[in-house]
Amino acid sequence: MKRILLVMGLMGAMSLSAGELLIQNVRLVETNFQSGEVIDLRIVNGIITQIGVDLVAGADAAIYDGESRAVTPGFIDSGTTIGLAEVRGLGVSHDGEQADDDMTAGFQVYLALNEDSSLIPIASNDGITRGLIVPEAGDSNYAGQSALVRFKRGSAFLQEKTMAQHLYLREGDRRRAGGSRSSALGAALEALAESARYDRQPRAFNTNKNRPFNLDESDLIALSAVRSGKTPLVVHVDRAADIIKVVTAFRSYPDLRLILASAAEAWKVAPLLKAENIPVLINVMENLPQNFDRLGARLDQATLLANAGVSFAFLSGSPYSETRSLSQAAGIAVAQGLTWQQAIAAVTSTPAAIWGLTGLGRIEPGAIADVVIWDGDPLEVTSAPVAVLIDGDWVDLETRQDVLAKRYVELLDLK
Amino acid sequence: MIKLWMFMAGAAVSSAISADYPSTYEPPPHAAFVLTHAIVDVGEGQGEFEGWVSVVDGKIAGVGAMDEARPSDTLEINASGRWLTPGVIDVHSHLGDYPSPGYRAHSDGNEATSPVTAEVWAEHSVWPQDPQFPLALAGGVTTLQVLPGSANLFGGRSVVLKNIWSRTVQGMKFPGAPYGLKMACGENPKRVYGSRGQTPSTRMGNFAGYRKAWIDAQEYQKKWTRFEKALAEYELWRISDQGEKDYKEPPSPPKRNLQMETLVGVLKGEILVHNHCYRADEMAQIIDLSREFGYQVTAFHHAVEAYKIGDLLAKNNICSAMWADWWQFKLESFDGIKQNVAMVNAAGACAIVHSDSARGIQRLNQEAAKAMAAGQRMGLSVDASVALTWITRNAAQALGVADQTGTIAVGKMADLVLWSHPPMSVYARAETVFIDGVRRYDRAAGLGPVTDFELGQREEVF
Repeated sequence: MKRILLVMGLMGAMSLSAGELLIQNVRLVETNFQSGEVIDLRIVNGIITQIGVDLVAGADAAIYDGESRAVTPGFIDSGTTIGLAEVRGLGVSHDGEQADDDMTAGFQVYLALNEDSSLIPIASNDGITRGLIVPEAGDSNYAGQSALVRFKRGSAFLQEKTMAQHLYLREGDRRRAGGSRSSALGAALEALAESARYDRQPRAFNTNKNRPFNLDESDLIALSAVRSGKTPLVVHVDRAADIIKVVTAFRSYPDLRLILASAAEAWKVAPLLKAENIPVLINVMENLPQNFDRLGARLDQATLLANAGVSFAFLSGSPYSETRSLSQAAGIAVAQGLTWQQAIAAVTSTPAAIWGLTGLGRIEPGAIADVVIWDGDPLEVTSAPVAVLIDGDWVDLETRQDVLAKRYVELLDLK
Repeated sequence: MIKLWMFMAGAAVSSAISADYPSTYEPPPHAAFVLTHAIVDVGEGQGEFEGWVSVVDGKIAGVGAMDEARPSDTLEINASGRWLTPGVIDVHSHLGDYPSPGYRAHSDGNEATSPVTAEVWAEHSVWPQDPQFPLALAGGVTTLQVLPGSANLFGGRSVVLKNIWSRTVQGMKFPGAPYGLKMACGENPKRVYGSRGQTPSTRMGNFAGYRKAWIDAQEYQKKWTRFEKALAEYELWRISDQGEKDYKEPPSPPKRNLQMETLVGVLKGEILVHNHCYRADEMAQIIDLSREFGYQVTAFHHAVEAYKIGDLLAKNNICSAMWADWWQFKLESFDGIKQNVAMVNAAGACAIVHSDSARGIQRLNQEAAKAMAAGQRMGLSVDASVALTWITRNAAQALGVADQTGTIAVGKMADLVLWSHPPMSVYARAETVFIDGVRRYDRAAGLGPVTDFELGQREEVF
């Protein structure tokens, strides 16, 4: 497996904010939200150009006083569905999966994204500035390709069309491939092999009647990118025994970059994951033994992985219900033994490294100005951002929820 | 005569309500103790103080500040550096009915075969070995209501449980807690039955279904009233030979109807109505429905739009059980807002934070904290102590057990949680949980229940 991190050109440079912004007096938090130096940030054309004490503002600079509040990089959600469904329960407004096809590696969520979704400000309001929009398990084990977005409404929403290929091999997923996890993994490997045959003879796709391809051409092209390591492969798999089989099986593709998600029992095989340098995407709050694959699910998985030296990032999974808050997930991980610094890293610098997002996940000279200023401890459930910058632009934090609240606070004269 | 008649009526119908399937839970004995130097919040929304709480025979025997005299002859447990609150209560759970593992073979929460299934009882589905119970205990939950699901207009009876490991559900039942009746508004019943081409398929169909069932219940109640009157006349004749007619045999009772028994229990005020209802306009119509048939709605559950009618809910003395921030997962939750709980509270109505989730039940304190903070940001006057009442006192009130638990008060059950941090912090973990004075969970000591399901195949984590 190739262990070089993907370095990706960041699209949409045109959306970077013009001019200079000087953010004064913010606390660059380190080991907890109270420690760290109070500094100024100079942001020019959407890039952090300078960090220091008592920076002098340029002549035309806008100035913002951070009042010694905590500042963090914008959080990165390594898996959500914002933009794919306005209302989850309405079948017609849900675009996260392709049904009625046994192999949908070529499916691309970006074509379905709603860049004006009312859910977008809900993410930025929680300090999340970027995220992967992930295809959900449909009728296929290969569910298709995730996209990277900025949580900013409008044309800047989509950042990268193709971030990763998603393969679902959890307990409930094997029925999609004939009912056995053997056939599910087998079909996934066969599809990769077929993509290799396609690469050798792409023109045979239309001409070779004797030995036709099982997959659509778009699937074969998508899987070629997985084999070559151009597109990382996120395998959603829970059981330790299955994780070992997946890791072993994909070794025959040395350039393939494997990432695990769901991964309830990853902690049991942590040394293997460490040795193979395979990162894990965790939904911290998913600690229920909901099926026999997830018997080992536990709330302190991040701590166990950290102690074993495995790289991990957090994801919310859903913008609608109990796991929607990424900062709460990180806070819980701290209560479960992770250090504050490690927890912040799991929503900033680590996902930036896993996804090859140069310039994101850090506050340093040269970094992209995704900046969040908090009214308290960023990981505390009672805290919220007071200001959010994406690419150096202020994000309007007022949501439709706030407008509704205002209407009824006034109507009922609440105090 | 009237008295005897009342007595008979009570005996005939409420025997079915309270006497059958009784609780066998009896708290084991424990040594008396006093927790000292804790930061105590008694759950009345009045703030916290450094104090002590003494416990004797499963009951709270005394509460005081550290400068007030405390029992000197009992075991002292120094709880310095800990926060002490009443046990957390979840008014909306499906633990045991939708257990983990969550296979079809285990899916026992929705008798989705008819829009009216008031005859089913959630307790008959509870699997006491559900490993989700201990996870909730680690979150400080000492009492929970398990409800049937929301596929039906009338889903069935709920059961209130103490969160203790037991071989039987009877061993978990909260002694003497009233039953609840689960009702559901809106999308779920009309979707489930409409998709089968039967009524209800619309919200108006939902209401027609409620009204028809209540009319049937009224008729059933009359039938029993007539019988009880006839029985009383017979008894009078038998004892004193008075009356207008002679009897060869006593009047025979009508055939029992379990569905109607539950509904009549509501009409008599013995069973509490827990009504799943998202939208404000539907809640207002349910209030009219309850007036039409003369019953009280105890709580609206999932009330994501309660903030729009806080005044109406306060006036009608109805609690709202809410999530902190769930929204938009279905159309009737589209107007869900983070400020909901705090706005209901500010309107003077009874606010509760509930989970409806085996994940959320593990951190109701955090959910209350999120709701509190959202209210504070709106400029509403709410603090951590008030937020605590949303998962303790107010929840006990909605379950009809506020005289027994929900606050730290002398004579109440010693259901207590010692927290590592202020309870409204994400870092707070339940360190020790007492139920009826018995230490059921202790993180440092590695003490906690392990269900049969987990035994030998799942690591114990404290």
